Amino acid sequence: MNALRRHRALERIWGPRPGWRGKLTTVNNNDIGLMFLFLAVTFFVIGGILAMLIRAQLATPRSVFMGPDIYNQVFTMHGVIMMFLFAIPLFEGLTVYLLPKMLGTRDLAFPRLSAFGFWCYAFGGSLLIFALLAGIAPDSGWFMYPPLSSTLGSPGINPDFWLLGITFVEISAISASVEIVVTVLLYRAPGMSLDKLPIFAWYMLIVAVMILTGFPPLILGSILLELERAFGMPFFQVDAGGDSLLWQHLFWLFGHPEVYIIFLPAAGVISTVLPVMARTTLLGYGWIVAAAISLGVLSFGIWVHHMYATGIPHMGLAFFSAASTLVAVPTGVQIFAWIGTLWKGRPEMHMPMLWILSFFATFVMGGLTGVMVAVVPFDWQSHDTYFVVAHLHYVLVGGFVFPMLAGLYYWLPHFTGRKRFFKLGKTAFWLVFFGFHGTFLLLHWAGLLGMRRRIDHIENGSGWELINLLASISGFVMAIGFALVLIDVVVNAVVAVRGRRNPWHAGTLEWAMPAPSASYNIASIPEVRSRNPLYDDPELPVRIARGEGYLGDPSSGLREILTVEIASGRPSSLVIFPTNTALPIVMAFVTGGLFVGMLIKAYWLVPLSILGVTALAVWWAWSLGSRRDQEPQPVGHGLVLPLASEAKRPPGWWGSLFLLIANGVFFGSLLFGYAFLWTVAPNWPPPAWLKPDLTGPLLALGGATLSWRGIRVADRGLRRNGGPWLGLLLSLAGSVALASAAVTIFMRTTHDAHAYDATLWVIAGYVLFHATIVGLMTVFLALRAAAGYLSARRIGEARVVRLWTDYAVVTALLGLGAAWLPGVLT
Amino acid sequence: MTDILRISVPLTAWLVAFSAVYGLHGLVCSDRWVAAGLDLAVGRAAMAAAWIVAIALQVALLLALRSPRFASPSAFMRGVSLTLSVTALVATLWTLMPVVTTSACL
Repeated sequence: MNALRRHRALERIWGPRPGWRGKLTTVNNNDIGLMFLFLAVTFFVIGGILAMLIRAQLATPRSVFMGPDIYNQVFTMHGVIMMFLFAIPLFEGLTVYLLPKMLGTRDLAFPRLSAFGFWCYAFGGSLLIFALLAGIAPDSGWFMYPPLSSTLGSPGINPDFWLLGITFVEISAISASVEIVVTVLLYRAPGMSLDKLPIFAWYMLIVAVMILTGFPPLILGSILLELERAFGMPFFQVDAGGDSLLWQHLFWLFGHPEVYIIFLPAAGVISTVLPVMARTTLLGYGWIVAAAISLGVLSFGIWVHHMYATGIPHMGLAFFSAASTLVAVPTGVQIFAWIGTLWKGRPEMHMPMLWILSFFATFVMGGLTGVMVAVVPFDWQSHDTYFVVAHLHYVLVGGFVFPMLAGLYYWLPHFTGRKRFFKLGKTAFWLVFFGFHGTFLLLHWAGLLGMRRRIDHIENGSGWELINLLASISGFVMAIGFALVLIDVVVNAVVAVRGRRNPWHAGTLEWAMPAPSASYNIASIPEVRSRNPLYDDPELPVRIARGEGYLGDPSSGLREILTVEIASGRPSSLVIFPTNTALPIVMAFVTGGLFVGMLIKAYWLVPLSILGVTALAVWWAWSLGSRRDQEPQPVGHGLVLPLASEAKRPPGWWGSLFLLIANGVFFGSLLFGYAFLWTVAPNWPPPAWLKPDLTGPLLALGGATLSWRGIRVADRGLRRNGGPWLGLLLSLAGSVALASAAVTIFMRTTHDAHAYDATLWVIAGYVLFHATIVGLMTVFLALRAAAGYLSARRIGEARVVRLWTDYAVVTALLGLGAAWLPGVLT
Repeated sequence: MTDILRISVPLTAWLVAFSAVYGLHGLVCSDRWVAAGLDLAVGRAAMAAAWIVAIALQVALLLALRSPRFASPSAFMRGVSLTLSVTALVATLWTLMPVVTTSACL
């Protein structure tokens, strides 16, 4: 088979359906990645327009351009859009598009999950834009502090759009993270051991783990605040045992890592692009990996950094001030490694390099002001002023937008297959650069002169008038610059001349394929021996196209892909991917019903939506697997591999593991909230502790034992080619008992009596939810066994259910124990 | 997966210790501590003890990652895991030092 026939055959297998239906049903990483990028840029334009409205309002004293009500919505939505609808989805899109190519594989680990995540993002983001257009957008600031955002401060629907819309969008971030982690760990070209990973993949692995551990506290906070607003459960109301500081803790447990979640992908882009621009290889690869991991974990110890002005004792402040200053060290290690790379090489001043240099200038200044606000006495002076506004824009625009623009210009030939011809980009660069610094450098002084953030107008004689006028003019210059960037990209994408493959002479695998890439990404999967395979073997693209790698024969007509061992990169199994389907978009739409039902208080829609999601999830999972054991399959080069569906730990098991890690962080945050209220909230202890009778604990212990034991009995039955029935029955009985134990808490407390009772309801709800899920999974497993999908070799699905069962048992015992303990001790 | 554990455990242990000591600090400064009949000196001693345990744990992890039994067979992963282990030890020393240097509940 020649290269062209191989291309056509693979395109038929991996490509989307023709026409507009193709966009709705595609699960291909190229389509989904580009859709993410397009939508993120659209939101960036909307957020940018809002920024210009802010600058127009503040350009002159006592401006009547907007009233306070509208202004509050505008600045809140500017922050919300830029943080949640632009920054995170942009790097998700870039990663979904690029990662399989860099890793030398054909798609991400769970293609349907990518599509589901995208549609959740699209629908959730649309909800927020609808609110903006309807004049009912969130107006309590992007971090939504109660009591301003609770019904006391905002009785309208505005904050509900934030709480529900953002939580809906976060499904997308969690989905993308699960599959980024599993993809980097398992789906790589053979030979690509961890020390040969493209540096971007390391960064994205770290970022994905950070999202899995950073987002759950915010999701919990959003749920608690929405429960307070909708049902009067007083988590944040002091008079009923709540504490508004709990929200700040939960928000910033997410919010500070979020800064690094946004910065690290950009750092990954720099570490990829900079060596190519400098005609050399990255200096200090291992140090950069260690620095990025350090930064990722240390960033979780800084959340109180944002709460210095809340009256926390000196020792608490000192903990977080110390951690905040420490974070500068791994950041510095990366900066010095990049400078060393420039020193080592022969830098060429192309467009990506211009943006990287602007990153250096801007981000270093933002980092230094970050160290200033990490120091408590200074922060007390500058807290909630425009100094902080200027600092965060230096970090986020300098540390994210500029590197992403470097990446955009670097990979533009890959996206378009064209050679950049029109030179509008350079003019755009200077407009953005000077416009940005003209705006935000000046605003540091406004902050030091006492200008508070979020004020809707400035007064004559305040001393801030000239600064704000100049900042506004510069802001519009920057906006014109960004508009020119967009025009430059569109023009070059549409009408520039065709370019050659790998115009930058880069060494990573994404340049080993024709541009724009085909839907299957790589015609055959190469064996990798270094971090820059194209430097080792410049003829590699040709050999890949000729099908000389693994899986070069498309005659099976299936979407075939390899997994490897995590550390060594040795090939371990063959995976057959699902094809295009409307299931993700339908499931996202039905999931949206849950959020819309809560939003408009049509609560009947919520259970309907949950039923719909459950039915679709069963359909989703049922379509996988096989009814017969299969022999190992040839994958090329004389190698035969077993099917991943016959592995004891199939990719779905790994996906479940990382999802449960995120779930565990959610649960841990819930217990933290409970302990926080118990320790710190003023109106504790509650009027009465829940004193359990014997029923609840007996049900919990009995249920835990049955579930734990039952799923193992079922597993053993399958391994011995016997029936799993007895074990599944025991496990199901255990789930019912655990659920019943949780219900006893509902029966003996009132949800809105006190923050203590409300917390017990959430803990019991959590246990009930997981017991129900595990019960449903157990029934599903029984049906699969009856239909012939399980055997001693095809045991992976049972292992997934076992993982979930174990998790449900452990969290039920911990949660219910925590709920009952105070009542037992007093 | 073992290599992933080697590089993730030390800093995760720091994060757990850091959060636990901060939680303990919250407890020491709360009314519950006084209600339990304990004073500030006991609280500070408890926090200092927790700090020492955290340091000892980090030293033990560092030694383990250097030992032939637990060290990664890959030179690259061994280097990264040791760097991260040293980082976690420094982070434990530095970020929890306030338990013996600043006022507790002011």
